[in-house]
Amino acid sequence: MLRSAEVMHLVARRAAEFGVEVDGRTRFRMKAAVARKDDIVRGIHRSIHSALEGRSERIDFLRGEARFLNDHEVDTGDQRLSFENAIVATGARRAVPPIPGLDSIDTLDNRSALLLDEVPESLVVIGGGYVGIEFAQMYARFGSRVTLLGRNEQLAPSEDTELADLLADYLREDGIDVRTGASVTAVRADGTSKVVSAQIADESHDFQAKAVLLAAGRVGNTDRLELASAGVTTGKKGFIEVDEQLRTSQPHIWAIGDVKGGWMFTHVATYDGPIAALNAVKHHGKSTDYRIVPRTVFSDPTLASVGLTEAEARDQGIDVTVGSVPVNGARAKAIGERRGKLKAVVDSTNGEILGFHILAPHGDDLVHEAVAAMQSGGTIDRISKSIHVHPTLSEMVKAAARAAK
Amino acid sequence: MQTYDYDLLVIGAGQGGLPAAHMGANLGARVALIESAKVGGT
Repeated sequence: MLRSAEVMHLVARRAAEFGVEVDGRTRFRMKAAVARKDDIVRGIHRSIHSALEGRSERIDFLRGEARFLNDHEVDTGDQRLSFENAIVATGARRAVPPIPGLDSIDTLDNRSALLLDEVPESLVVIGGGYVGIEFAQMYARFGSRVTLLGRNEQLAPSEDTELADLLADYLREDGIDVRTGASVTAVRADGTSKVVSAQIADESHDFQAKAVLLAAGRVGNTDRLELASAGVTTGKKGFIEVDEQLRTSQPHIWAIGDVKGGWMFTHVATYDGPIAALNAVKHHGKSTDYRIVPRTVFSDPTLASVGLTEAEARDQGIDVTVGSVPVNGARAKAIGERRGKLKAVVDSTNGEILGFHILAPHGDDLVHEAVAAMQSGGTIDRISKSIHVHPTLSEMVKAAARAAK
Repeated sequence: MQTYDYDLLVIGAGQGGLPAAHMGANLGARVALIESAKVGGT
């Protein structure tokens, strides 16, 4: 769907820059874009099922909702199963904050917003985190008039402030009404529209739209598991607390992925899975290491990062050198993408890479050079002294590394 | 010694549960993977 938004943006807004003339009106067909996405997802499901069928001698794939009866048994709806060890991997869903009126209107979430038949004429997105940013830009490119309401002064508040603020500027350039420091106080229906009221700098503002997307945080999918029967405790927002080996408060029950809170990324769940299995089956005692988890906002330009921000490093009392370069160079010019900035955060005393922050086209791919270099305490020389192909966007990663010397 | 139906029960066949179940099977465990909605997660 993001790809559909990108194609729409290039054709509708930028084709002429590249010498492409488009006659007539450019229309976005939501149904066709959704069908394309569904087709891709179906293919993924097919390959998952065939992989499971190939393991049927060892893995029983069961349908049902598991409910713990005690610390070694679950009820699946139609049968009772006993287990020696269990791994809870039930994920998270969007939180529904206690905003007055929220139960009186229909809101979209990250799932239902990908199932629409038509593009809403206007959309208010509540939540300035990763999901809110991605959907705001996607719908703006589909043709909606979009308002993005972020609770914090900074979008994507855990990311580098300068880059997050730059991204907010770019979203505004794209026509999105970005409001930060906006605390939503009430929502209500008004005929076929919806009205979201928010407090911004001590003033109350009303935002009217045909649709509202709620992306204000997430909660763990634990409320129907009856974890207490198994002796597993949950913390705030329904997330399960685990130790560094992914063990819950019940030592033979593990929790992985979004249901344990923290960095809720697919790649974290995929990283967790085999570790928990190894610990459960072989008592391997393997620990997770989340110091080098890459993070990405799939915006345009993409905001991708790994490790500490400059502010976090300074807060830890580390003497840091920051190398910073704007998006530039032959490739960026050639593809007509000049928005963004790259920052390398380096320990001044030994050259160790502490963090890398990229707001750039294809930042989601570019960040992996830093991820690989940061393994086992890698220094900035790994990047700054490596030969990079010309002309590529990766040259910008090297330029940021050189700037941090 | 107590015996169980399964060595390892994995609840949720998303992008965490799937690799956990496969790894469990690779390690020789008898695995049950249970999902109430779609495989693959969100």
